[in-house]
Amino acid sequence: VSPKHPAAARARPTRGIHRFRRVFQVSFLVLFFVLLTLTVWPLGSVFLGVFLGADPLIAINSAVNGVWLWPMAFAVGMLLLPLVAGRAFCGYVCPTGSIIEFATPSTGPGRLSPKARGRLRALPTFVLIGCLGLILFANGAYLFFDPLATLTRTATTLVYPALDRFVRLAGDVAYLAAPLRPVTDFVTGALEGRLLFPDPLVYGFQVGVLAMFATMLALSWIEPRMWCRDLCPLGALLGLVGRVGPVGRVVDSDACISCAKCARACPMNAVSEDFLRTDASRCQSCYACADVCPVDAVHLGTKPARWSYTPSRRAALVAGGAAAAVGFFSFTGLARATKNANLIRPPGGRPETDMLALCSRCGQCMKVCPTNVLQPAVAEAGLEGLFTPHMDYAVGFCDWSCNECGKVCPTGAIRRLTLPAKRTTVIGRAHIDRNRCIPWADAQTCLVCQELCPVPDKAISILEETFTAPDGRRVTLGRPQVVASRCIGCGVCENNCPVANMAAIRVYTTRPAS
Amino acid sequence: LERREFCRYLGVCTLAACTGGLSGCARALEWSQSQHTRVVTRTFGAPAPSAPSEETSSGEASRSAEATEPARPKPPDIAVVKGDDPAANTRLAVSMLGGMERFVKRGARVVIKPNMLTAREPELGVTTNPRAVAEVVKMCWQAGARSVTVFDRPTAPARQVYTVSGIAAAVDRMDGRMKVLTQRDFESIKIPEGRVLSSWPMVADIFDADVMINMPCAKTHGLAVLTMSMKNLMGILGGTRGLVHQQFDQKIVDVNTLVKPQLVILDAYRILFRNGPTGGGPQDVRMGRTCVAGTSQVAVDAYGTTLFGMKPADLDYLKLAAAQGLGTIDLSKLRIEKRSA
Repeated sequence: VSPKHPAAARARPTRGIHRFRRVFQVSFLVLFFVLLTLTVWPLGSVFLGVFLGADPLIAINSAVNGVWLWPMAFAVGMLLLPLVAGRAFCGYVCPTGSIIEFATPSTGPGRLSPKARGRLRALPTFVLIGCLGLILFANGAYLFFDPLATLTRTATTLVYPALDRFVRLAGDVAYLAAPLRPVTDFVTGALEGRLLFPDPLVYGFQVGVLAMFATMLALSWIEPRMWCRDLCPLGALLGLVGRVGPVGRVVDSDACISCAKCARACPMNAVSEDFLRTDASRCQSCYACADVCPVDAVHLGTKPARWSYTPSRRAALVAGGAAAAVGFFSFTGLARATKNANLIRPPGGRPETDMLALCSRCGQCMKVCPTNVLQPAVAEAGLEGLFTPHMDYAVGFCDWSCNECGKVCPTGAIRRLTLPAKRTTVIGRAHIDRNRCIPWADAQTCLVCQELCPVPDKAISILEETFTAPDGRRVTLGRPQVVASRCIGCGVCENNCPVANMAAIRVYTTRPAS
Repeated sequence: LERREFCRYLGVCTLAACTGGLSGCARALEWSQSQHTRVVTRTFGAPAPSAPSEETSSGEASRSAEATEPARPKPPDIAVVKGDDPAANTRLAVSMLGGMERFVKRGARVVIKPNMLTAREPELGVTTNPRAVAEVVKMCWQAGARSVTVFDRPTAPARQVYTVSGIAAAVDRMDGRMKVLTQRDFESIKIPEGRVLSSWPMVADIFDADVMINMPCAKTHGLAVLTMSMKNLMGILGGTRGLVHQQFDQKIVDVNTLVKPQLVILDAYRILFRNGPTGGGPQDVRMGRTCVAGTSQVAVDAYGTTLFGMKPADLDYLKLAAAQGLGTIDLSKLRIEKRSA
């Protein structure tokens, strides 16, 4: 059939809500970054974590692990949406999808052969089977690949630290001109604690986050939107629901001239080879196919003709078995750190097994943390604990007046604690290294740890002693000791200890070994 | 030159240029930190004029309410006011010293240094009373100040400290400016009379200003025993905080030889009588309901020790300061005027 069919010359106006897809995408992208930027101490009443809260993949994972938070009600709606609108989330809402679509080739055939493309079509099914294997064994590591968690993580560890650095540098340059100083001071004051922090923000594993996001984008050059089409676990979940949707893309087979324009225009590779059927597990309801159809044969309708990959029983069994085996071994210690005295979870953090099962690895707690103490675990919690939050007192300390990490956690891996509760929650215990501590080892005065200890009656006591210093002098000094029953492990002492590079007072976990 | 060779040269040159450019970028990011390592000599503003009555004839000062009071022949060295309102206490104490006009001339740039050590509610007595700070800001405006800036270098993130201590809101209400200090505000400043500290990074703003008002609160301190106005000046120091805690008493005195705030207002509305300087709970706080004002940090702190039932000689840094001639700690030689608001 020639594309030069008489009807093809007819100019057709696009119509319907899908015309505004770009508007939706940009709006949600902006909203996502606005909300994330506002996720700083003190959190207002606006619900800032709505994207992650409404993420059905995260909500299902939490629910399976026995945690239910009210924002997950949104996630139920999100999970049911594909019944009527396919993966509209991917095409209209998902900020990660929008970035991939805007920044990389998003339509048309890729470099792959039709055969290879056909194999890729099977991938989402096995992604889901893999997730299931991990869910069964209380391992939330697959949430590392959740698109909303990924974008939150990428922005937290890369975008905001870069902004912080550049605003700082701009301020330093502006300060050279004396007339600009009041303005610079005003801007600095206004941005302090929002985009600018006392010390430049640092995060571990930045290069890993960058590599992952770059890979997600780069995949599009192999096959347009390959991440969204074939690998995204959230997309796979929504596609699973979409398979049974009673509404979708319907093609009038009498009108269709098989010009293949729809297949070329489809950003999700959801149009079958005969152009009449739709892969409902992929269709994002953008109706780019309808817009390009020269004969107006594509409509939104009921009982769409489906065309989706269904694994053979054998393939499903093999994959399921493999996934369960991986889950089993990960749970029993394949990549789990069981004993690490330096692994301190934030206050409200659930026990280690629950933490690894629940944490979405999104890094939103690290975004809100005003002192930068919350850092992604790189190797501290084992491979499966990658990017779960832990406290690094070389970077910051847990501030007495802050309990925000529990408020922003979308999974409940960090429980919400009231300030009084947080102030009595023990996450670790400080130990003084008398071989390095200034009053103990150098016979000089120092009590910074006691001075800044926030707990009532102080977890550091000062032992007034007269002793012989290493050089033979008799000196009388106050020497610090830790009162274990009062220490909550907030790390103010370790963070402020003047002993260079590794504090002479260090906090170790009080978590029982698993 | 062959094409292949040309391409190779081009590639190498581009790589070299990129490396150079990137390292330039890296240096630019760290540039401000290297700006202030050079030790500079700065002189602190002139001391407070001793006799306020000379100034009142100019007519400018009569704009404010205090100036219309009959001028006392000579203000006391230390004004002590007791009362239930921290703002009224502060106002009365300053007016007993001759009114804010004595210190703040028309068009003066004023900096106020309260104690904002860390983020604690005002009830815990860890930070200077916000109402007292606000009252001082107001008095500065009434005296005709051009700018009033309030800052400290806290140990927790500044925004939290300024907010939780209540000082940001109180100063905002009076149109004062809360300044968040950054690396660029510190200069390495020479301390000519320093015995242990020869130079240290300090907030440059206090040297740029015409008037500095020191507004400490009365607290205990593990190392210095008590922290009041002299110790409050340690908050203008930059650099690594923990590194000033050796030979601490002498270092306090060293800083005080250079920086001599024109007006010192010790807020003892709440007194943190144990577990200072960061406190622990309301059980560590006693209501002192007092404001002590003076022009000499040494004298104010000497009187301040009596609030804790101590003697000036109980503090090593006061003894050192007196020995170095920074002021007298002999309370019998100070003219102390007590009133209640």
